Amino acid sequence: MLETIHLSKSFKGKKAVQDVNLYLDNGESVGLLGPNGAGKSTTISMISTLLKPTSGEIKLNGINTVNKPGEIRKILGVVPQELALYQELSAYENLKFFGSIYKMKGKELEKSIQHALEIVGLKDRQKDLVKTFSGGMKRRINIAAALLHQPQILILDEPTVGIDPQSRNHILETVRLLNETEGTTVLYTSHYMEEVEQLCDRVYIMDDSEVIAAGSKAELLSILSSEDTIKLELSKINEDFVEKLKSMEGVRKVESANSQLKIIAKKGSNLISELVHLADRYQIQLLHYQTETPSLEDVFLHLTGRTLRD
Amino acid sequence: MGSFIKKDLLLFLRDRKEIIITLALPILIIAVLNFAFAGLLDNDEETTLDLQLALVNQDDDENIAEQLEDKLVAEGSVDEAEAAMIAERASYSDPVQALFDFLESEDLQEWITVHELDEVTAAEKVEQGEIDGMLVIPNGFTVESLYAGFTGKAPNVSLAYKMEEETTNNGTLYDIIHGFIDNLNYQFAIQQIGGSNETEIVQPQGGVEQLGEGETFTLAQYFTLAMGILFALFLAITVAAKTGEEIRQKVFNRILVTNSHPMLFLIGKMVSTFILASLQMTVVFILAHFILDVFPGRSVDFWLGVGVIISLFSLGVAGLSAVFTSISLRMKDIDAANGVFSAVVMVLGVLGGNFVPIYVFPDWMQKLGEWTPNGLSLSVLMEWIQYEETSSLMMPSLMLIGFFILCLVIGLAMYPRRGEA
Ligand SMILES: Nc1ncnc2c1ncn2[C@@H]1O[C@H](COP(=O)(O)OP(=O)(O)OP(=O)(O)O)[C@@H](O)[C@H]1O
Ligand SMILES: [Mg+2]
Repeated sequence: MLETIHLSKSFKGKKAVQDVNLYLDNGESVGLLGPNGAGKSTTISMISTLLKPTSGEIKLNGINTVNKPGEIRKILGVVPQELALYQELSAYENLKFFGSIYKMKGKELEKSIQHALEIVGLKDRQKDLVKTFSGGMKRRINIAAALLHQPQILILDEPTVGIDPQSRNHILETVRLLNETEGTTVLYTSHYMEEVEQLCDRVYIMDDSEVIAAGSKAELLSILSSEDTIKLELSKINEDFVEKLKSMEGVRKVESANSQLKIIAKKGSNLISELVHLADRYQIQLLHYQTETPSLEDVFLHLTGRTLRD
Repeated sequence: MGSFIKKDLLLFLRDRKEIIITLALPILIIAVLNFAFAGLLDNDEETTLDLQLALVNQDDDENIAEQLEDKLVAEGSVDEAEAAMIAERASYSDPVQALFDFLESEDLQEWITVHELDEVTAAEKVEQGEIDGMLVIPNGFTVESLYAGFTGKAPNVSLAYKMEEETTNNGTLYDIIHGFIDNLNYQFAIQQIGGSNETEIVQPQGGVEQLGEGETFTLAQYFTLAMGILFALFLAITVAAKTGEEIRQKVFNRILVTNSHPMLFLIGKMVSTFILASLQMTVVFILAHFILDVFPGRSVDFWLGVGVIISLFSLGVAGLSAVFTSISLRMKDIDAANGVFSAVVMVLGVLGGNFVPIYVFPDWMQKLGEWTPNGLSLSVLMEWIQYEETSSLMMPSLMLIGFFILCLVIGLAMYPRRGEA
């Protein structure tokens, strides 16, 4: 129902988003994954009509929204990355104002305020000023404000940054509920791999202004299907040892941190005996050995050579 | 639209500090200034203005009746018998004495001391500054006055007022004296001939600032108006700061992702500023009145006039807030923007005479001051207090509306289109 075609945005010649193609089907839950500065928020700003693209199109049911934004604004709910709330007003007053700018009023508005508060679990705190809320509660009100007009598509821009695990779970649960029971189409932005893995049917991975991979979780993982990840814990690490490892047949990448090593190797390389041998030669003890099924994190590492969060 | 206004009013009401600043502070300042200056200027309730006036009588007051009779006959308008009768009747009245009586009457005694001197001495003393000014009764004044009164012609000899340089005190005296010299010159003659000894001269009211038919205005009134207007003007800064806060809190973006017209945000700002400014001034004026009895015994019409200026000035403040809001939305650095707004408002406040009475400034600055909405409103209200002339409200009202429209046009032109903010 919503797609972007070769969407690009430059700020004073500097590219923030380049040639991004996304699509969202009705009822889907899609993740947008990427490190800081990848261009996620900029993409969302363009979709939500806050920014005009430098080039490219955004289509809602086949109709370009760039110059006719009325329709998409009606059905889109946007949860901005930063809290966008009046700190000096109560939760209820905030929702009342944000509902009224969607031209809702009276009983209808009242009902949807209470419904939204219920979804985010803050019904009993609605009379309190937002500034008295905890970080997690503010985030939840931030979400509630985007739900008032019962949007068909909900876009969440890193809704869980900087909050406690409990609030985070609550938010993830809320999003899942909206997607599963109310049929809301979700675009969920994060740089937490595990959130996206948990919530989303499909994932787009952005890095450095471009989408570098896309697909269902299984599809993405199949990128790595030709590789094994081996984790080692050693008594000590020696540079020569690492160099030798890298030159071993089948090894593609070696990362070291403290006394731990992560080795990515061609599937079926069966390195174990050689490894033990090598460690022995350098008088290094092998404390722990583990072969891992790859995660999306590994996919990102594979694609960019960097971890998602540095 | 209603929800935009409600939101802005709510935001303001939540800010207790702001409420105290806009309402309690001006009243406090008015009270403090009032007491401070009341003690400074007049220790006992009455004004201490004491003008020294030299009176030089050069009129030869002998044979008035004969002189008058001769003059009447010489002009040929009446025959001798009639002339004698008129002269006889006129001789009972004495314009010079009436003038003395008037100057020494209870009303004037409080603030004018009369010294009868010859011209040379009087001139010397005026020059030395011992005496503020001199009033010369020229020779033939009595006869001329009586003759003029009888024939109904303007007298061709008149009282002359002289003084040394135009110091403040002299200026005031000049205003006071000058205001009724014309009256005096004319009235005397008519009244005297009419046979009555009572002079119906419009007496100047004891007051410092002005002379004429109006009431004078007091320092308390000046402070009340100046502070009420100044703090209403400050609201433009407050509103701009709150807009800055909204930009910082990113709520403006929430408005942009809806189909609500972004202009409603600006209009909401103006309307709420208008409401706040007019409420603020109304409350300050009324509270000052009840606490300090600033406008005693004024009519409903008077208060209506004040209400009109309050409304129009509030419109001006609302316009200013629109300009500030638009600029805020465009500026990258909100703190810098707020600094600029504060500076602009301070300059307006100074030019408009809300901090210090405008007449301490050079002429060109005073002229400029009248072009600020606050300076204009202040001077109009001071005039209104004195004369309550509806016509005096017309021009300033149009100018305030003009200021509002100008601001509105600038505010709308600078208001960022979607995607620019
Ligand atoms: N208004 C702007 N003016 C200039 N550059 C901008 C602007 N907004 C974003 N950028 C730049 O565009 C790039 C992408 O930024 P964006 O906010 O979209 O990243 P992001 O993926 O949301 O990152 P994060 O995870 O930190 O939120 C960054 O390099 C950023 O500096
Ligand atoms: Mg972002």
